[in-house]
Amino acid sequence: MKRRLLIIIVIIFTFNLATPTQQQKSNNSDIQIQKAWARPAAKYTNSAFYFVLENNSSKTDTLLGAETKISEEAEIHESYKKDDDRMGMRPAGKIAIKPKSKFEFKPGGFHVMLLGVEKDLHIGDKIEVVLRLKYAGKIKAQAEVRDIPMTK
Amino acid sequence: MKLRHYLFVIILFWGCKEKLPVIEKFGETSYRLVDQNNKEVIFPDFVKDKIVIMNYIFTNCPDICPLSTNNMRLIQERLKKEKIDNVQFISLSFDPEFDTPEVLRKFAGIRNLDLSNWTFLTGDKSTTNSVIKQVGVLAVPSDSTVFKNGRKIYYYVHTDRIQLIDPEGRIRKNYKGSTINVDEIVSDIKKLQ
Repeated sequence: MKRRLLIIIVIIFTFNLATPTQQQKSNNSDIQIQKAWARPAAKYTNSAFYFVLENNSSKTDTLLGAETKISEEAEIHESYKKDDDRMGMRPAGKIAIKPKSKFEFKPGGFHVMLLGVEKDLHIGDKIEVVLRLKYAGKIKAQAEVRDIPMTK
Repeated sequence: MKLRHYLFVIILFWGCKEKLPVIEKFGETSYRLVDQNNKEVIFPDFVKDKIVIMNYIFTNCPDICPLSTNNMRLIQERLKKEKIDNVQFISLSFDPEFDTPEVLRKFAGIRNLDLSNWTFLTGDKSTTNSVIKQVGVLAVPSDSTVFKNGRKIYYYVHTDRIQLIDPEGRIRKNYKGSTINVDEIVSDIKKLQ
């Protein structure tokens, strides 16, 4: 009797581990992250994380924020033109991704700012950032540290 | 007839070789700054007789300043390929309170920048402010982020600029740092040689 109970507990525990996780959600075909890369940064300074977010679903989803173990904070930011000569940067809040569309987070535009990186990010390093979306939930993205954008 | 033809071609060639206007000159003005190795330098005296490619940055900027810096690297690589020397690269921080020599050294090191002819400069805030004022660059603290531990960093609204300075310390052309056309500046450098 005790052995049966133990088997049941083991089965339940195993099943719980297999329930939808960030990893499984990253395979969600409705939302795809492509061309993810990040800038090099020395420890305690800032990096920027760039990617293309593709919404294949039939409804608008919203990027609510990002989190990562690689930096103290991760915020959605936007570089903007103040005038012909001057550029600025500001927090961008939430970003709506329309149905059947792509949204590019790219140099000189929207990006996820990785504030206060916990270690040196050298060219060629790999980092992980989790994006939080309103409907798709948490999606893990792997990014390579580079000094030029991903082209493929 | 033939001579006339050759003269016409020569005159046409000289006419096409557009001269770059003088935008600003340092003249007798110089500034006491420090480089990424904490060594004192007198700018622009230390680059006298050299063509200078200069940009203006703050290292907390993760987007525009790295774009401008990467473009400086591309220009440097192109000049090496074309065997054009006597050119010095300078990146001046307008946020010297954060951008210490050590921070600048790490900023360059993490990007594997070739510092054989590239100097990063910082110094007293009043001095860096005087330099950027003279060269026509604006940098104003704007939005900020406060960390959980209370640390606060500012983001500057700033002029996105790379400048071409001739061997006599005269600014000859301004370019948009993040989107500069490498062919254009290399062609302009050749005009100053």
